[in-house]
Amino acid sequence: MSVLEQLNGGGVYLICGSIVAFIAVVCVIFMVRAWRAGKALGMDVTRMKRAVTASATFSVLPSVGILLGVLALSGSLGVPWPWLRLSVIGALHYETQVADAAAEQLGVSLGSGQMTAQAFPTIALLMSICIMWGMILSTLFNKKYLHRLQQGGKNEARTGGGFGDKAMAAMFIGMVSAYIGSYVGGWISGSGLFSFSGSWTPLAVVAAAALAMAVFTYFSEKKGMAWLDNFSIAGSMLVGMLAAVLIGH
Amino acid sequence: MEKQKNYEAYLKSTHRLGRIVSMITLVLLVGAPFMIGTLLGAGPDLGAVARGFLSVGLVWTVSSVVEFLVYTPMLGAGGSYLAFITGNLINMKIPCAMNAKELVDAKSGTAENEVIATLSIATSALVTIVVLAMGVVLLIPLQPVLQSPVLAPAFANVVPALFGAMAYKYYRKDPLLALIPLTVMIILFTLVPSLTSSTSFMIIPAGALAIALAWVKYRRETKGAAE
Repeated sequence: MSVLEQLNGGGVYLICGSIVAFIAVVCVIFMVRAWRAGKALGMDVTRMKRAVTASATFSVLPSVGILLGVLALSGSLGVPWPWLRLSVIGALHYETQVADAAAEQLGVSLGSGQMTAQAFPTIALLMSICIMWGMILSTLFNKKYLHRLQQGGKNEARTGGGFGDKAMAAMFIGMVSAYIGSYVGGWISGSGLFSFSGSWTPLAVVAAAALAMAVFTYFSEKKGMAWLDNFSIAGSMLVGMLAAVLIGH
Repeated sequence: MEKQKNYEAYLKSTHRLGRIVSMITLVLLVGAPFMIGTLLGAGPDLGAVARGFLSVGLVWTVSSVVEFLVYTPMLGAGGSYLAFITGNLINMKIPCAMNAKELVDAKSGTAENEVIATLSIATSALVTIVVLAMGVVLLIPLQPVLQSPVLAPAFANVVPALFGAMAYKYYRKDPLLALIPLTVMIILFTLVPSLTSSTSFMIIPAGALAIALAWVKYRRETKGAAE
């Protein structure tokens, strides 16, 4: 039996599936607790339902993208391990990079059918170790950090403040700018400085998705169709992705 | 008063639960390679793990610290414990929670935000778990469809599609504020195209610049209002 066949065996499915099931139970527990806390606080149940619906619809498309990541990694690491890593904790760009770096240290290459019995646990361990810090920091400092921020927030409120929301929106503007900047830069200089011959597909996708979002916003804000908001991000992404398919052909 | 007391008790137990499940998850995720190694009849090469960590792990460690500092206030206690356990932060959890927060108009740092962010992250994680579980079950029949060359450009462009939608949503709030970081990023990525491979790290200077500009504007506005 080859290593890949072993990695797709029942034992590995059992180990990975148990961890995924554990995380799913944790999510359900947090969800139920938050729902009850919201009700105890007197929050409007309709708004909480709206948040859940919007989050569910929002997550479907990116999840399909993540599923493709499982497919992409399954050729070298088997199905269960990428399934575990991308169901919980990981992100495709990270997992791929770390798996590749670990394979490089071992002198094997991902996707070439060179996986060995010793290479796999090494790659898997490095993937686990590299991305565990968020959980460790959360465990050690989450309570203290949020408490400190809350104290700061109270002081801010007393002085008529409220910069927190503006800072978060600004952080998002910065994040979006970094990505769009990279697409523009990739098109202008991606294939040579100022050659304007890099790929323009991501830019067209950005434009199509933004345009679709504008249409969704128009109908939800001006035509009283607020329910459309629940599908605006996922719907806009779908339009953007459709644009990529059309450009690709 | 009673509500505040209940909420504080909820937060306290959320921290306790969050810490416990984070530690259990950590042990499971680090232990899994050893368990799978036992099935394969081989253990990990710890020297190679150490070398690999030095080459890529340190970068991700710094990134994790930044993520913790930036995202924890956005997500509150329950949301951040869950988000760091379930991953896919930038590409899904953070925009998802922000979207939910916007929809119900919850303000950062409030009890409402704490509840909405937790509901949003938990829902998002469960959807991913279900989609992936179904995908794994259907992996063989789905493979030709999802990996077909026709759909390949669509899935290769999930991230631009996400950021296009988010750009409209956030830029329209303050187009002038957006203009400067966007221009700076375009210039940087054009003059140093190799930065494209470090886009996720460029979020830090871009975000810092946008926050600094927002702060200047905010100070000017509050000063103007006070006068």
